[in-house]
Amino acid sequence: MIPIEYWLVFSSLLFAIGAYGVLTRRNAIVVLMCIEIMLNAANINLVMFSSYHAVLHSISDSSGQVFALFSIAIAAAEVAVGLAIILSVYRRYQTIDVDKINILRW
Amino acid sequence: MIAEYAWLIPVFPFAAFILISLLPKRTLLWEDGAVYGIAGTVLALGMSFAVIWDVLQGHTVTTNSPSFTWIVIGSDTSSQLSITFGIWIDQLTAIMLIVVSVVGTLVVIYSCGYMHEEGDTRRRYYAEITLFISVMYGLVISNNYLQMFIFWELVGLCSYLLIGFWYQKPSAASAAKRAFIVTRVGDIMFMAGIIILLKYTGNLNFTDLFLGNSTAGMDPNMLTLATGLIFGGAIGKSAQFPLHEWLPDAMEGPTTVSALIHAATMVKAGVYLTARTYPLLIQTPNSLLFVAIIGGVTALIAATVALVATDIKRVLAYSTISQLGYMILGLGAGGYLVINLGVADGYSAATFHMMNHAFFKALLFLCAGSVIHAVGTNDMRAMGGLGKKMRITSITMLIGALAIAGIPPLSGFWSKDEVLSAVYHAGDFNASFFLLWFLGVATALMTAFYMFRMWFMTFAGEPRSDFHAHESPKLMTVPLMILAGLAITSGFALFIGKGFKAFMSGAIGLGAGGSPADIASEIFTDPLTYVSLGMAVVGILIAYRIYYLPGFDRSVFARGVSGKLQKALENRWYISKFYDDFAVNVVYAFSRLADWFDRIVIDGIVNGFAYLGARSGGVMRKAQDGNVQRYTALIIVGICVLLIFVLYILPWGGG
Repeated sequence: MIPIEYWLVFSSLLFAIGAYGVLTRRNAIVVLMCIEIMLNAANINLVMFSSYHAVLHSISDSSGQVFALFSIAIAAAEVAVGLAIILSVYRRYQTIDVDKINILRW
Repeated sequence: MIAEYAWLIPVFPFAAFILISLLPKRTLLWEDGAVYGIAGTVLALGMSFAVIWDVLQGHTVTTNSPSFTWIVIGSDTSSQLSITFGIWIDQLTAIMLIVVSVVGTLVVIYSCGYMHEEGDTRRRYYAEITLFISVMYGLVISNNYLQMFIFWELVGLCSYLLIGFWYQKPSAASAAKRAFIVTRVGDIMFMAGIIILLKYTGNLNFTDLFLGNSTAGMDPNMLTLATGLIFGGAIGKSAQFPLHEWLPDAMEGPTTVSALIHAATMVKAGVYLTARTYPLLIQTPNSLLFVAIIGGVTALIAATVALVATDIKRVLAYSTISQLGYMILGLGAGGYLVINLGVADGYSAATFHMMNHAFFKALLFLCAGSVIHAVGTNDMRAMGGLGKKMRITSITMLIGALAIAGIPPLSGFWSKDEVLSAVYHAGDFNASFFLLWFLGVATALMTAFYMFRMWFMTFAGEPRSDFHAHESPKLMTVPLMILAGLAITSGFALFIGKGFKAFMSGAIGLGAGGSPADIASEIFTDPLTYVSLGMAVVGILIAYRIYYLPGFDRSVFARGVSGKLQKALENRWYISKFYDDFAVNVVYAFSRLADWFDRIVIDGIVNGFAYLGARSGGVMRKAQDGNVQRYTALIIVGICVLLIFVLYILPWGGG
């Protein structure tokens, strides 16, 4: 079995890459993609801990993997809503640059 | 024994007060409730006389009086303080009961005639006056200082209500306020005295303070301070110098109220308090000297102002202050006699004067009320010639004036002479009393003069303005005649039975002095008697020359030094003006300072916080700039900080 630290480092890196993208990219679609990367980092953790849990206690329990499937489904829905928002923002302002879309403020 | 039921005495007028204030209007019967007032006071009068009869039989209620416990502080029985309500009936109480019951009842009866034209406000009047009499009874029969203080304050409240009875008149409203505030100065001192006593003796019961030895271990200086402060209460209530200026202003109330305040209730409470505190006062000679000096100075100052007053009620008001000064002086001097000779001469003289004064001063005030009722003004310059039209009033008032001037055999002669002789004899132990005796004798001269000046100006000569006077109704003249009878005869109490002096000696635990025959021979062989009697006669003759015989040019007084003096007297020695200026300049300046402090500092702090909130909000809202990525960054930083805090700093800090 691959040691657990490898998984943890991998998912952390994935999460950090996603967070970096969310914080730095101007294009709203790229920001959305980066959010997907962060979600997948969380999914990897769920699957990984589920599998380790079953092995360590010698039981057959896949609820963590089911959680991951739920998460993927919700992510798909989220992308649908997010893209729809971006589309209507573009129609209204002719831009999807997140720096320019800042009217929701004081 | 009926004295145990003395607590019923205040209950009767109080019941009258409740009935008059709460009954529906049509059940108030005659004169808007006067009938209940008369019933209540007459029942209290009967009860008082039953109690007095008991006391005359030698039955007093001092220790183990019926009482109920009101407040208990502390759980430890050895150190707990319990406040009880009880009664204390001794000879002094009996004297006060005579005064309050007789004068109170007669004043209420007289009011039916005097207040007849007041209409609906009579209901308020009778309610307040019965409450006034009731709380005065309560004060008189109290058996501890706290109970006394409660009734003391209620007396002050009632006098405020009654002085301001015609509250629509600005002068009456302000006089009521003045009476309330000035006496409050004294009340604070009284309270401070009580607190000192409580702190050092742990008890306020007269039984422990007077008969026990709970003050034995007390620092003499603290005891002097306590008794001095308690006397401070009397200074305010009994209108002694320098807190005397409220009493003349209190003339704004109905004349019946003035009669009650001056003769039976308010101002007598102060003298009563001083007399009641006697067992403590005689342990503190310095307080006694202070008492005597205040009394002597007050007697003289008030008498001088009465010389020039033109308002008939103000003359009487100043004469009350002056006579109260006599009583206080007698009490102060009497203490030295108790300490050094073990005789109660001054004490009995002062209380005797208190009783006699109650009768003749009530008489004088009710006569003045009768005159004002007939003429419609208080100004003596507009009166004159009333003697022919108001025969009963003029004769009864003459009796009152002779009594207060001290002409034998009327009551004032006996008691005033006794007071002056006590003061003179106290001079053997402290030379200041000789000076105070001179003040007293000078006051006697002036008293005779101004009382007869008033009588001549009112009843003699020709009318000086247009009025149609008529004698007052029977309801008013009968009380006058009863009081005149008392003013003539009450002085002989000195010789009834074992004599007044022996009776009062019992109140402070002294043995009886000489027999009545000894007292009589002492009075008539003492040259001092003839000095004060001579002064009275001279005073009356001067008044007769100046105000009765025609052809005396009074304008000579208005020139030169005497003119200045007259001006000072007309302005009441500028004492009233001093208080007004004090209020205007010092108090107003202080108020301005307080106002400034309030506006700048207090409001400044409050407004400053509001400004700070608004400004910091203005700064902080810039953070919400609509840039979602910045929010995200802050969220991530925040989560990291929280994680570091929870995972590393908290476990480390907790050890």
